[in-house]
Amino acid sequence: MTKDRRPFPLTGVVLVAGAAGYAFFRLHHALTPFLLAAAFAYVLNPIVSYFEARGLRRVQLVVGGYFLAAALGVMAYAGLKSLILSETELLQTRAPAYLGQLQKMAFAQQAQLTKRLPLPPQIAEHALQSAIGGALHVVHDLPSHILALVPFLAHALLVPFIGFFFLLDAPDGVEGGIQLCPSRFVEQAIHLLSEIDTALGNYVRGLIIVVAVIFMVSFLGLIALGVDNALIIAAISGISSVVPYFGLAMGIVVGGAMAVYQFGTLWAAAKVAALFIGIRLVEETLIQPIIAKHSLHMHAMTNLFALIVGGATFGFLGLVFAVPAAGIIKALVSVTWSWYTSERGLDLGSAEGSGVPYT
Amino acid sequence: MNPLKAVKRWFIDPQFARKKQFLRSLDIFKDLRDRELGYLVQSLHSRTYRPGEVVFMAGDIGRALFVLETGSVELVLPASGDGSRAKFQLKPGDFFGEMALLESLPRTATASATEKTHLHLLYKSKLDALLAAEPRIGVSIMSHLARLLSSRLRRVNADLKPVFAKND
Repeated sequence: MTKDRRPFPLTGVVLVAGAAGYAFFRLHHALTPFLLAAAFAYVLNPIVSYFEARGLRRVQLVVGGYFLAAALGVMAYAGLKSLILSETELLQTRAPAYLGQLQKMAFAQQAQLTKRLPLPPQIAEHALQSAIGGALHVVHDLPSHILALVPFLAHALLVPFIGFFFLLDAPDGVEGGIQLCPSRFVEQAIHLLSEIDTALGNYVRGLIIVVAVIFMVSFLGLIALGVDNALIIAAISGISSVVPYFGLAMGIVVGGAMAVYQFGTLWAAAKVAALFIGIRLVEETLIQPIIAKHSLHMHAMTNLFALIVGGATFGFLGLVFAVPAAGIIKALVSVTWSWYTSERGLDLGSAEGSGVPYT
Repeated sequence: MNPLKAVKRWFIDPQFARKKQFLRSLDIFKDLRDRELGYLVQSLHSRTYRPGEVVFMAGDIGRALFVLETGSVELVLPASGDGSRAKFQLKPGDFFGEMALLESLPRTATASATEKTHLHLLYKSKLDALLAAEPRIGVSIMSHLARLLSSRLRRVNADLKPVFAKND
């Protein structure tokens, strides 16, 4: 190793990353559409790259893709219009009655349960009142939780618009960044980019599969159970699956509440809960093994910790991006460790059989 | 002009086609098919170096293969026992740093641009990804590297023959 080699400026990188993280924390509301647009472009980029590898121009591909997506969207809306409208109307007309019915049901069940519990009647009544009251409070607040997502829907036009430019110029941006990087650190920079891209890309693609499967299976399952508003409940559960474990919870709460209202028994809600737990188990046993080889390979507790920290710091956006952000941090740590061990000569093992003479 | 050709020209990216043409002209990639060259172009990163700019230094951990498209690069080996430094001048179409694709080991020479130089980098993990997704590309490159390594070993063996003979 020569003496004039400069070590990797780890302190500088950590300081810059820290400053960037703080700036992001301060500006995250303003940066939200850009972050969502970057994620949007990142998800769609493999499709553009697939055709680009065949020698087609990126500009034509992106513009053509937008026109095609718009046409498909209009056609899909035309095809599903009656179903969407009927589900929306059904929800609008019945929504006020849902809560009243649920309350009535809950208090009827409460009287029966008070008798069955092996506790003094007053204590049993008090315990059930607080439990059922808490559950009803959650159901009551559900619309406001769903309404909290409305600001994100406001980005529905802005995100594809910004995403268009990300899709067009992302490769040039990366090459520009490499050009700006000091030549001595180009290999390290590409190493880092490559690790992040591999981990994140596979996670995002896996997530899309999970969301699509949960949406489709829960839609079919709810129809089989005869639950009203199957499309909306399946859509809520599918989209909520972007946040780990949230899709299952939303499916059980919203679907279960609908089933209780519609059929008037807790048994119907139990069937809906069984459906969503079953979907979750199928996802864990059949889908996850297929996409696991492409996932971030993070422990469930790490995921949970990332979700809690992300949610507490950045709200709903933090929940959505917590796991991929943890994946990026993991890639950063892994690359730093790899540099450290390489620089220190800790991983210079020779291949088996290298002692045999060349013949 | 043939309207079909005009439409094709409007859709085909000339820069991408030029890069593919350049890669096809190289010995290491000559066995690849057109679509495979397309995947390879997407896996490459490019960078322009100013005259005198260091690409990497002896002792740096290598993780990428460099392909020289335009300009020139000088490889300088560390000083030997008598203080002399062996130098090699690389011209467009040459590639260097290829052993980094096999092992992340310290570079054995310092590489620097002697004029304005455009290099393509094939990063090891990109090649690994290509090996998984398009095994033919990886096998073709790896088999070329194996042949290169074997011919270098033969040369070293031949160079060392007189030394071994003297010791016997």
